[in-house]
Amino acid sequence: MDQETVRTICYLARLEIDKDKAEKIENELEAIINLIGGLQAFDTENIEPLYSPLEQKAFKHEDIENSDNKKDEFLKNAAASNDDYFLVPRVVE
Amino acid sequence: MTWETVIGLETHVQLSTKTKLFSRASTTFGKSPNTNVNLIDCGLPGVLPSVNKEAFYKAIRFGMAVGSKINQTSIFDRKNYFYADLPKGYQITQMDLPIVLGGKIDIETDSGIKTINITRAHLEEDAGKSIHDEFDGFSAIDLNRAGTPLLEIVSEPEISNAKEAVSYMKAMHQLVTFLDVSDGNMSQGSLRCDANVSIRKKGDSKLGTRTEIKNINSFKFIEKAINFEIKRQVQVLESGGNVIQETRLYDSYKDETRPMRSKEFANDYRYFPEPDLLPVVISDSEMQEIKDHFPELPKEKKARYQKEYGLAIYDAQIIASSKSMADFFDAAVQKTKNYILLSNWLIGEISAFLNKETIEINESKLSAENVAVLINRIDDQTISGKIAKSIFEEMCSSGESPDQIIESKGLKQITDDDSIEKVVDEVIANNPDQVEGYQSGKDKLLGFFVGQVMKETQGKANPQTVNKILKEKLTK
Amino acid sequence: MSIQYKTISQLREMIDAKSISSQELVKETLKLAESLKELNCFVTMNKDEGIKKAIEVDGTNTSNSLLKGIPLAQKDLFCTEGLRTTCSSKILADFVPPYTATAVEKLENAGSITIGKTNMDEFAMGSSNETSFFGNVHNPWKKGYVPGGSSGGSAAAVAAGIIPAATGTDTGGSIRQPAAHCGITGIKPTYGRVSRWGMIAFASSLDQAGPLARSAEDCAILLNEMSGYDPKDTTCLNVENTNLLQSINQPIKGLKIGIVKEFNLGDLKAEVQIRFEESKKIYESLGAEFVEISLPSISASVPTYYSIAPAECSSNLSRFDGVRFGYRAKDTDDLNDLYIKSRSEGFGDEVKRRILIGTYALSAGYYDAYYKKAQQVRRLIKNDFEVAFRSIDLIMTPTSPGTAFAFGSKGVQNPVELYLEDLFTISSNLAGLPAISIPHGKVNGLPVGLQLIGNFLKEDLLLNAAHIFQQNSEFHLERPSMEEF
Repeated sequence: MDQETVRTICYLARLEIDKDKAEKIENELEAIINLIGGLQAFDTENIEPLYSPLEQKAFKHEDIENSDNKKDEFLKNAAASNDDYFLVPRVVE
Repeated sequence: MTWETVIGLETHVQLSTKTKLFSRASTTFGKSPNTNVNLIDCGLPGVLPSVNKEAFYKAIRFGMAVGSKINQTSIFDRKNYFYADLPKGYQITQMDLPIVLGGKIDIETDSGIKTINITRAHLEEDAGKSIHDEFDGFSAIDLNRAGTPLLEIVSEPEISNAKEAVSYMKAMHQLVTFLDVSDGNMSQGSLRCDANVSIRKKGDSKLGTRTEIKNINSFKFIEKAINFEIKRQVQVLESGGNVIQETRLYDSYKDETRPMRSKEFANDYRYFPEPDLLPVVISDSEMQEIKDHFPELPKEKKARYQKEYGLAIYDAQIIASSKSMADFFDAAVQKTKNYILLSNWLIGEISAFLNKETIEINESKLSAENVAVLINRIDDQTISGKIAKSIFEEMCSSGESPDQIIESKGLKQITDDDSIEKVVDEVIANNPDQVEGYQSGKDKLLGFFVGQVMKETQGKANPQTVNKILKEKLTK
Repeated sequence: MSIQYKTISQLREMIDAKSISSQELVKETLKLAESLKELNCFVTMNKDEGIKKAIEVDGTNTSNSLLKGIPLAQKDLFCTEGLRTTCSSKILADFVPPYTATAVEKLENAGSITIGKTNMDEFAMGSSNETSFFGNVHNPWKKGYVPGGSSGGSAAAVAAGIIPAATGTDTGGSIRQPAAHCGITGIKPTYGRVSRWGMIAFASSLDQAGPLARSAEDCAILLNEMSGYDPKDTTCLNVENTNLLQSINQPIKGLKIGIVKEFNLGDLKAEVQIRFEESKKIYESLGAEFVEISLPSISASVPTYYSIAPAECSSNLSRFDGVRFGYRAKDTDDLNDLYIKSRSEGFGDEVKRRILIGTYALSAGYYDAYYKKAQQVRRLIKNDFEVAFRSIDLIMTPTSPGTAFAFGSKGVQNPVELYLEDLFTISSNLAGLPAISIPHGKVNGLPVGLQLIGNFLKEDLLLNAAHIFQQNSEFHLERPSMEEF
């Protein structure tokens, strides 16, 4: 895992690693990737991926309103909000 | 150097389901912020999505109408990225196995009908809204829209200019409204499009670098944005530069496109199948149900209006081409039998009024019932055509029924001979000079007498009867 | 009278005989928890509401559920309305959910009283409860030793006799392994048996809720209530739930139990092997027959799991962005800075590692080789089980290759060291199969667990086999001395 890749995945995950921990984390990630690299030894030609242990179809619900909105509680849980909105530092598009 | 333009459009259609794609919160527009938000829509820890079947049915209706392949088994995928109005940090969408594949739509162009192929259409959830300018130093987030079902329809890059793009969007608008898939209300964001625009030298087979103009929400802006972008790209290439592949926004105040602020790293969305949802299967019987309850499309309406109601081709076409107008007509013909008069009014007075106010008929105060009654009252001679016009104006502003207006303003047409005769006698008696003039051959003076009688009766006298009696009395 | 170590039935009898009220029981439980707070099992106690509910329950006449008035603890991964829910993470340290998880709601509707939220590995990522923001949990058998994880707090609280049972969650062994290390019983049901609504997601296709208790019988009582179809969870099974107590006493003569060839039990520590062989003999004496079976792809379990779980968690944890709830960093320049600082300051190292690995496994260019490949190998593993279960009823393995260990003695240099210890438990999560761990003795004074894996929906058989074993042995009755606490 080169530095560039680490930087990219850190950004995609919106995480930053302390500079003093960087080498340790990179080594750990390296070790885990080696572990999961062991999968290559298994022949999976023509095998369908199993994304869920349940092989059943999704339940579809009716288009009927059923609100469980708790606006005040939702807003209260936020670090910054007013009576109506969640607030974040201003975004410039 | 002659350049040709290649345009592909991605249309986001907000489905007119009552509730959201993965939750049972209401989708009603215009509610106060963060009230149409269920636990799921807020992306709270521990919540799970559940599929709204009506969203699928609407998507399938669209697919059937454009002749596409319906994937009766489709899956949802997660598209991972961070943005303030994306509560879960991922959008649930369909990547590899969308509900609709292929299809085509005909558009009107200056050189006739052109067919645009559709690549695919898939279901996905809409994001919330961010408001950037209202609170000092903050952006405010409203999640009411988060989770609303969208059908994203992708066209092949077969559109050649801005006018065709508008024509495509208009055809799309008509289709989704007639199919009851969406209310198509662009000002409310029910229909938006992203335009992928590139240019190349005429005759070149290779595609040029494209830019994407995002979130255009009116026919007018689509045309302007695309035209600006084409001009801009031509300028770039003709001055020896290269077009950069980027996402741009259309600024309607300045009438220009400009690049969106992007980060150094391109976004890798890391799509993978949504593990909280299983494959969605539409059964054969569900498919049949959808086919059996297929709404009537403009072509069919036009034919039916001609056949059942005797409308002329042109008139039938006009009424059939707007969902709100067609629905209005279909309701009104339940209450009146004078179909031709009804259609004349719809195409004439009513359309003129709607155009002036720039509203759809279903946004006005007119009801099908009331208009039908108006037609009937003209038909049964309760009122004259002229009075009807002023009653109509009143109906438009107050929404009252014609009968209420006739009653309250005493506008009933006077048709009995005796009453009219009395007034005619009075007018003749009061205007001896004009009587002489008429009797000595000035036929045009009949109009004067008619006018006087109408004035005396506040326009309520039946004009034909007035004419008849006047002629009788004046011709001696 | 002491309530410590009483079973659900014993407490039920006491309440029915009016020798103790639920209110008194809850108060005693809270006192006991307080006296043993050095164990660090609990993150939040539910004192006022708990007592209030107990008083309410005492006031009702019908006694139709075994759990009525019984104190339980909930793993701090389950949302509990009005009661802080942290997942043992700084990023949720002040989060109070506006709703309750279905599994917990069902237990509370049956009359049980939630007396507190138990400590765990942060976001269920870990197998030693050493990654909690609120500190390590002590194994009641030995101070300074791990209870296992991620449901370490629940396991320790049950093993210390504070409560008869608690809820846990199991993604790669997080109910079974702490049950083994703490000398108690824990069952992970079939995937989809218990609703995941309100259960804060780690790896969506692997997570499952289940009970920890000091007997198979008590586990059955809880699982009966926790199970059931919930339309709010699309991945929930819509099947009829049988009463797990009904068949729990069935004799197990003729039961066919498979021993997995590829697990190479001969490579395990001698003492662990001895315990395993002894338990085999007990089952044989009860009429069970042992058969060697092959699960050819089983060695892929650990790499498969460590591709899928981090990938799913990297996405599930994206919602922790400091915007609508949870920790938000101060003094940030813009939105991106807010995300980066809040998440980096709010998450612990193991969580960050797994998010990074997961992001990598899903990223363009690596998706096919890691995530997709892992899901394909997952099918191979599931197929292996399907084939095996044609000729056997249950599979038996040790729950873990080792016992509890001292704080900080494993996985510090290399996290993979700990990952490899999950090899026996992980495959049942991948295949969605139910599995149970029961105590079967000690190695160097520390408990070891015996695992039984059942076929799809066969929790009744698992509990039956576990219960019969417990009727014919006394391991599950052993108690830690607790003199260090």
